[in-house]
Amino acid sequence: MNDTRLKGLIISQSSVFFASSLIFPYYILFIKNVGSSFAQFGLSYGLFGLSSALLHPVIGRFSPLIDHRLFLVVNAWGMASVLLLFPHVGSISQVYAIQLLLGMFGAFQKHGEKIMIAEFTDGAERGMKIGNYHFWTSIFSAVAIMAGGYLADYFTIHFIFYMSSALYFGSGLVVMRINSNKSILVKKDKGYEMSTEK
Amino acid sequence: MKKLIVLAICTALYTSFVIFSLHKPSSVVSDDHMTDVGKLMPVKVKQVVKETELTSIKEVIEEAKREDLKVSIAGKRHSMGGHTYYHDSVVLDMTGYNKVLDFDKEKKTITVQSGITWDDIQQYINKHGLAIQVMQSQNIFTVGGSISVNAHGRDIRKGSLISTVNSFRLLTADGEIPTVSRKQNEELFYLALGGYGLFGVILDVELQLMDDELYEMTTEKLDYTEYSDYFREKVLDNQQAKMHLARISTAPDSFLTEMYVTNYELASEEGPLQEHDELRKERMTGISKFALGMARNFDWAKDVFWEIQKQYFLKANGDLISRNNVMRSESKFLEYEAENDNDVLQEYFVPVDKFTDYIDDLRDVLTAEELNLLNITVRYVNHEEGPVLSYSDEEMFALVLLINQGLSKKEQKKTGEIVRKMIDVTLTHGGRYYLPYMPYPTKEQMKRTYPRSEEFFEKKKQYDPDERFTNFFYEEYKQ
Ligand SMILES: Cc1cc2nc3c(=O)[nH]c(=O)nc-3n(C[C@H](O)[C@H](O)[C@H](O)COP(=O)(O)OP(=O)(O)OC[C@H]3O[C@@H](n4cnc5c(N)ncnc54)[C@H](O)[C@@H]3O)c2cc1C
Repeated sequence: MNDTRLKGLIISQSSVFFASSLIFPYYILFIKNVGSSFAQFGLSYGLFGLSSALLHPVIGRFSPLIDHRLFLVVNAWGMASVLLLFPHVGSISQVYAIQLLLGMFGAFQKHGEKIMIAEFTDGAERGMKIGNYHFWTSIFSAVAIMAGGYLADYFTIHFIFYMSSALYFGSGLVVMRINSNKSILVKKDKGYEMSTEK
Repeated sequence: MKKLIVLAICTALYTSFVIFSLHKPSSVVSDDHMTDVGKLMPVKVKQVVKETELTSIKEVIEEAKREDLKVSIAGKRHSMGGHTYYHDSVVLDMTGYNKVLDFDKEKKTITVQSGITWDDIQQYINKHGLAIQVMQSQNIFTVGGSISVNAHGRDIRKGSLISTVNSFRLLTADGEIPTVSRKQNEELFYLALGGYGLFGVILDVELQLMDDELYEMTTEKLDYTEYSDYFREKVLDNQQAKMHLARISTAPDSFLTEMYVTNYELASEEGPLQEHDELRKERMTGISKFALGMARNFDWAKDVFWEIQKQYFLKANGDLISRNNVMRSESKFLEYEAENDNDVLQEYFVPVDKFTDYIDDLRDVLTAEELNLLNITVRYVNHEEGPVLSYSDEEMFALVLLINQGLSKKEQKKTGEIVRKMIDVTLTHGGRYYLPYMPYPTKEQMKRTYPRSEEFFEKKKQYDPDERFTNFFYEEYKQ
């Protein structure tokens, strides 16, 4: 059971990593196009980290109360929507706003990913499984970065943004399919809360 | 069940976001940084102003005068050599000044504000059965930008764009607005036409139009050695032929030898114009873009690209097309290109009779050098002595070279060196180079190409002693 769920997690997060690595190098170029100084550049990355940081404790607090898949779905579909805005960004303040959103969705992803791995693995096998998880997600990142270059050459940067958005959306669908009625709906199953890592 | 509904709603929402995003025009330009389609020289300018009223345009010039600021004039910014901006200048973006002011169907004239694009004019006159006489092969440019370079296109019977301009009004550096034509202020007419925005703001322009016509396309394959004779006998002497375009191969297997030529001849009665005069949208953009993308990186793909193009045009043999549609060509992919690649253009003019020798010498240069040459088109320009910076004092072939180069300084330097060599070859054959592209040529080459350039720059100082209208092109080449 846990194995199929872990597989779902791997598939969905591999496509998330694929999608984000696809755009990442070009996203930097893109910000550079809009911004005009190193200070603006630094600020936009700082905002990303900051919004992410501030959200983590909040997510953590609500975590026991909600379906954990929701974290990954919020990240996937949120990113899918924000990416659609990229082609229309024209000013540095819009970049700041987007960075804030990206930071927030990033926090959802990180939290969801960790908590679900923890949930789907235990005992002696945990280490191996986490290794496996990171192997696949990293492979997809690497392939995406290379593929992104070719795609940008043959199509347009905008095309990559749209493609990445579609992948994020698909990843959300996969997350929805990860079976949950067993244990994740914490509200229904108080016992489960105790069984998470504490 | 509930889950399915949620899924369906989310999917529908997402789909509508996608559609919305795809349809909303994208914006990626920042406000105070300027560059042109070459994207090679981003520069900080003071301000970009886009005015729609004459009074506000006048105010911009007056204020610039008061505060002693430089002004650069910009149309659609398809020129590539910094013709539309300058350090800390006020950039006057003319694209909002784009109305049709007057239209006379009988006299076949139209008066437009200079920021209008050819596309806008085509939309306006096509339904009246009229067409533009001379313009570029694409319709994405502004009238002001086109006049300022004295553009030319596929037409072989008229001269360059200047021959179709009846008159215009020019806002000069001292704030006056003289009417300029062959009869009034004649000197300014020949300076501002092909004047690269240095003599003032071209405001409204009266253009001579003509009847839209129906053409039959014929495409043939040729060897480059046959081209000059073929062109004189089969095209120039054939009164039915109105427009012409040729391509010479840049693919390794047939490098600068194989050509195919397309003629647009007046169609015999069989097809009424009305059946073909609906303005067409761009086709092929995706495919050409993909093929070009491959060709950019791989030599084998250049061969494939050449074959595909050739087949495509040979297949169009006998097709009927309206004049207006000939001048809405499918090269828009270049516009997208500028986002991530650097395809730059060069254009060289050579006398019709020198073509074969010229190509032989050009091939020598290019086989010795490493230049990623993607495409060459050949058109014809009539001789035109009027403009001070005229590029065709006799009948010339115009070769447009599409070159892919990197963004790095090193790559640019390399391209620059090869370009200068190609220009030397061109000059040896009595040819010229076109000014709207990269500022690679030396000052010396500019002088040799444009014997009246000294006069041009002297007159500039005379009409605009404070050099109010300035751009990088001017700074680079003024003498
Ligand atoms: C893909 C491509 C294809 C091309 N094909 C052709 C072709 O087939 N034939 C051809 O002849 N050329 C061709 N060109 C060159 C093109 O015609 C010039 O670059 C032209 O200037 C572009 O018009 P624009 O509206 O973009 O002008 P800009 O690039 O915006 O401006 C060009 C010059 O005009 C001046 N200017 C603009 N508006 C005004 C105004 N209202 N008053 C005074 N000065 C003004 C500017 O200061 C500048 O010096 C091509 C260029 C590209 C990129």
